[in-house]
Amino acid sequence: MAAVAATAAAKGNGGGGGRAGAGDASGTRKKKGPGPLATAYLVIYNVVMTAGWLVIAVGLVRAYLAKGSYHSLYYSIEKPLKFFQTGALLEILHCAIGIVPSSVVLTSFQVMSRVFLIWAVTHSVKESEDSVLLFVIAWTITEIIRYSFYTFSLLNHLPYLIKWARYTLFIVLYPMGVSGELLTIYAALPFVRQAGLYSISLPNKYNFSFDYYAFLILIMISYIPIFPQLYFHMIHQRRKILSHTEEHKKFE
Amino acid sequence: MKHYEVEILDAKTREKLCFLDKVEPHATIAEIKNLFTKTHPQWYPARQSLRLDPKGKSLKDEDVLQKLPVGTTATLYFRDLGAQISWVFLTEYAGPLFIYLLFYFRVPFIYGHKYDFTSSRHTVVHLACICHSFHYIKRLLETLFVHRFSHGTMPLRNIFKNCTYYWGFAAWMAYYINHPLYTPPTYGAQQVKLALAIFVICQLGNFSIHMALRDLRPAGSKTRKIPYPTKNPFTWLFLLVSCPNYTYEVGSWIGFAIMTQCLPVALFSLVGFTQMTIWAKGKHRSYLKEFRDYPPLRMPIIPFLL
Repeated sequence: MAAVAATAAAKGNGGGGGRAGAGDASGTRKKKGPGPLATAYLVIYNVVMTAGWLVIAVGLVRAYLAKGSYHSLYYSIEKPLKFFQTGALLEILHCAIGIVPSSVVLTSFQVMSRVFLIWAVTHSVKESEDSVLLFVIAWTITEIIRYSFYTFSLLNHLPYLIKWARYTLFIVLYPMGVSGELLTIYAALPFVRQAGLYSISLPNKYNFSFDYYAFLILIMISYIPIFPQLYFHMIHQRRKILSHTEEHKKFE
Repeated sequence: MKHYEVEILDAKTREKLCFLDKVEPHATIAEIKNLFTKTHPQWYPARQSLRLDPKGKSLKDEDVLQKLPVGTTATLYFRDLGAQISWVFLTEYAGPLFIYLLFYFRVPFIYGHKYDFTSSRHTVVHLACICHSFHYIKRLLETLFVHRFSHGTMPLRNIFKNCTYYWGFAAWMAYYINHPLYTPPTYGAQQVKLALAIFVICQLGNFSIHMALRDLRPAGSKTRKIPYPTKNPFTWLFLLVSCPNYTYEVGSWIGFAIMTQCLPVALFSLVGFTQMTIWAKGKHRSYLKEFRDYPPLRMPIIPFLL
């Protein structure tokens, strides 16, 4: 769902940069956008992120070719994955200071859910690393496309192929990412239970208790209402944006 | 000029509530509502729905008497709209009151069966129940007798969201405070006494502000005035903040958090503080926009800071 939310919210308003993201769909959007300095910064940001996720993609391919199996591919890209995914927290700041016209709440939700999965599940429970590959691949492809989409949009030079990819590949990548995320959380459960990870029980002087195991199960359950909503929103967006462009092309 | 006579009947019981004679023909429904409030002050105009037919549509405030299809003695039917929004707040506040007590009395299926209907051995737990209950009873009474609402209704979505918030947090806090494994405050009776003092002072303060705000706007009028301190020392906080009612409310919950030394209470206070700060800033901004001579020293919610 971190994968789904990322692209959905981003599609709606342009999480990483580029208000042109949603802009090209609705002709009524006013052309305000970030100033030249902010635009330059955002272009750099999006280029760096595109590069980062390309590094992860290349790392995965090289590690697979070297090892010949899927096992422990995660370790070969663990550091850049953590670095670049955590770096996406900046996108919340971009919304907060207004250089990106997305909702702070929506962007926070999507980035935090990614960061949560990376740190609070995968990093914290080493044993959950086997299912990680599924969502890492989904995220990597999605992010490379998303960040390059923003880069080109900011430069007002968006190739149709990128737009098409952004609004089409999700059809496969979302379910793939969600499956990976759910499987990873599920794999972590017994170890969380056993170690009492991030849990606190009564009695204690804060008169508070928290069961991380139950919390993770709640998170998994929350995918049920949230994923379909985001997925169908994306499908709706796709229909709107790709057909709109087709019409525009007719008049060129 | 021929004057009209207006009789107002209750739409449900047809009881004659009010008889107005010598009403100007060009009087508006709004003016008639104001006249009606004079004889029934609890039904200020925003709460009134006047109609020509007991089951018909409400007349608009701008409608003029002589343009209505009435004879020189007009019969209007009255329905009380106020119940709508009061009902919302009553539900929002009665919930926490009731829910907390369920935990306090350790009703079955909350804690282990051996604890059913047992009582905590810590004094502070009993004190906390009194304070929490007092707070919500006070809110209920204020909703019924003190507050003047500017809107008649509240959207359903809000009602659902607010109830979830109040009821949810009440259950969460009550669960820990009344838990058999509850740990009383680290600094014992001293901590509890200090916290209780803070709580009581802030409850009195909050009530004082509500009364002061009510007196600021007479029944039925829509005039807005700058609130100022009165003889009541609790209202002197108006010198420093625009919304001292929120300041005192946050203070009460901080007091309650210190008293119970319970993290969920602290979190509830934090969330409440965040929301009230947003409201206070909005109110402060509208005061500044409306009044040129608004006291410059005042901050929205925290003196000198926020």
